Amino acid sequence: MNGSKKAAGLTAGLGWLITMFLLGLLLFKGALATGYGWDWARVPAFFFDWDRMRFGPLLKGLGVTCRLIAWSLLLTLFLGLATALARLLGGPVLAGLARLYLEIIRNTPLLVQLSVTYFIWGAVFDFSAFWAAVLALSLFEGAYLSEIFRSGFLAVDQGQWQAAWCLGLSTPDTFGKIILPQTAPMLWPPICSLVISLVKDSALASTIAVYELTKEARDLAAETFLSFELWLTIAGIYLSLNLLMSALGALLERRLGRL
Amino acid sequence: MKSGKQNGGACIELRDISKTFPGGHQALKKVSLTVRRGQTVLVIGPSGSGKSTLLRCICGLEEVDSGSIRLDGRELTGQPGLRDRMRPELGMVFQAFNLFPHLSVLENLTLAPIRVRGRKKAEAESLARELLLKVGLADKAGARPAQRSGGQQQRVALARALAMNPKVMLFDEPTSALDPEMIGEVLAVMRDLADEGSTMLVVTHEIGFAREAGDELIFMDEGEIVEQGRAPDFFERPRTERARLFLDKILY
Ligand SMILES: Nc1ncnc2c1ncn2[C@@H]1O[C@H](COP(=O)(O)OP(=O)(O)OP(=O)(O)O)[C@@H](O)[C@H]1O
Ligand SMILES: [Mg+2]
Repeated sequence: MNGSKKAAGLTAGLGWLITMFLLGLLLFKGALATGYGWDWARVPAFFFDWDRMRFGPLLKGLGVTCRLIAWSLLLTLFLGLATALARLLGGPVLAGLARLYLEIIRNTPLLVQLSVTYFIWGAVFDFSAFWAAVLALSLFEGAYLSEIFRSGFLAVDQGQWQAAWCLGLSTPDTFGKIILPQTAPMLWPPICSLVISLVKDSALASTIAVYELTKEARDLAAETFLSFELWLTIAGIYLSLNLLMSALGALLERRLGRL
Repeated sequence: MKSGKQNGGACIELRDISKTFPGGHQALKKVSLTVRRGQTVLVIGPSGSGKSTLLRCICGLEEVDSGSIRLDGRELTGQPGLRDRMRPELGMVFQAFNLFPHLSVLENLTLAPIRVRGRKKAEAESLARELLLKVGLADKAGARPAQRSGGQQQRVALARALAMNPKVMLFDEPTSALDPEMIGEVLAVMRDLADEGSTMLVVTHEIGFAREAGDELIFMDEGEIVEQGRAPDFFERPRTERARLFLDKILY
């Protein structure tokens, strides 16, 4: 069991390496064909400026991206749980509102939602591009998370709800002590893939001038014309970030399983 | 057969309760029934006659459409707040046990007393251990329910309901999901409870148990109480055609 899991992990890792190698080769060939002049030597300075002893744009951008992800994750969890509960336990009005929110979010592009949040709501309620991005990303991922939660809660046997009801347990206790612990192991994998989507989607915040990783890279590319180097570099950063998230998820899952 | 307990005051009083499900099926038709304190009332009847619905309406898992439900003289219908507070006073034992699989046997018994009754953990645990002793599972406190046999799980479920010290115990075919060799161990515990003077309303298909364990027997059919009286009378001399048909089917 454990051995086969390890083997599967190894195969997946090897697959990744080969894919990355082929992709790199392709890019290299492409660059060669267009007569691209590689200049990797200038890239490290984009991370850290040793002359002036300060962070370069890419590290600063990464910091903003991490902050963006952290806040969005927090708000996503809240929105997802609240929406799922509203649909399950709320009266017709609350459930209807939750449904409306879900349909709007799921049927419009995230790019449009970001712009509307920033240029319209941001202007009306006066919040910065950063918080507009947090809000838009959370609303977007929260809608999907609520569906994950809802299906998980519904998957718990009806008898569990009934037993909890008859013992007089309050609704928060029923959720917190009976339903959630039983669904958590089931919810974990889809939640992990949601976090990975969030990391990738956060790049769209660059379109509303949030100076996160992608925006910094785009600006640098426009300035220095080192587009290939920069795009490859941030692709690598996003990849590492998500591999880290997956590893963290797997670690926590093992913890969860042991509970 | 118990005797001398019929004089207790009314614990549950149902008056003309009716229940129609959204599909249009009327599961209960103006059912009236009184369970006195210390009494064991048994309910039998064919499948679909409304026995489960009756219990579910009493414990609040279903709303009645009309009629009155009183617990210790207090009206529960139309009183959401009181209804809510009275939930733990109606101890329900389900056919499918419905134990909490992620908790140990002991935690199954202590969760509600701690969270609902505000008992201290140590106090709840010592009560739980007493109850486990009573149902013959003193050594299983640390186990997960799924590791136990069906008969043991149902005895745990029974102890879990008892841990809330409810005013009345409701049983919905507690032995129907059990292998035949395990039915006896659950019925034995129920018999003990009845003898100790617990107030119980028991839906059962166990005719042997129905014959001798209760103070009163109720025969339901098509959402109505068709006969009500002492068990021996019912089995020897059923008064209605419907009861005779039912007995013919189950006895031969
Ligand atoms: N949630 C529900 N929705 C619609 N109809 C229901 C529902 N629950 C029960 N019924 C119907 O109500 C009637 C009574 O059901 P109930 O479960 O009370 O019967 P029962 O006497 O307990 O039968 P059994 O011996 O099979 O358990 C049945 O015809 C059943 O189909
Ligand atoms: Mg039933």
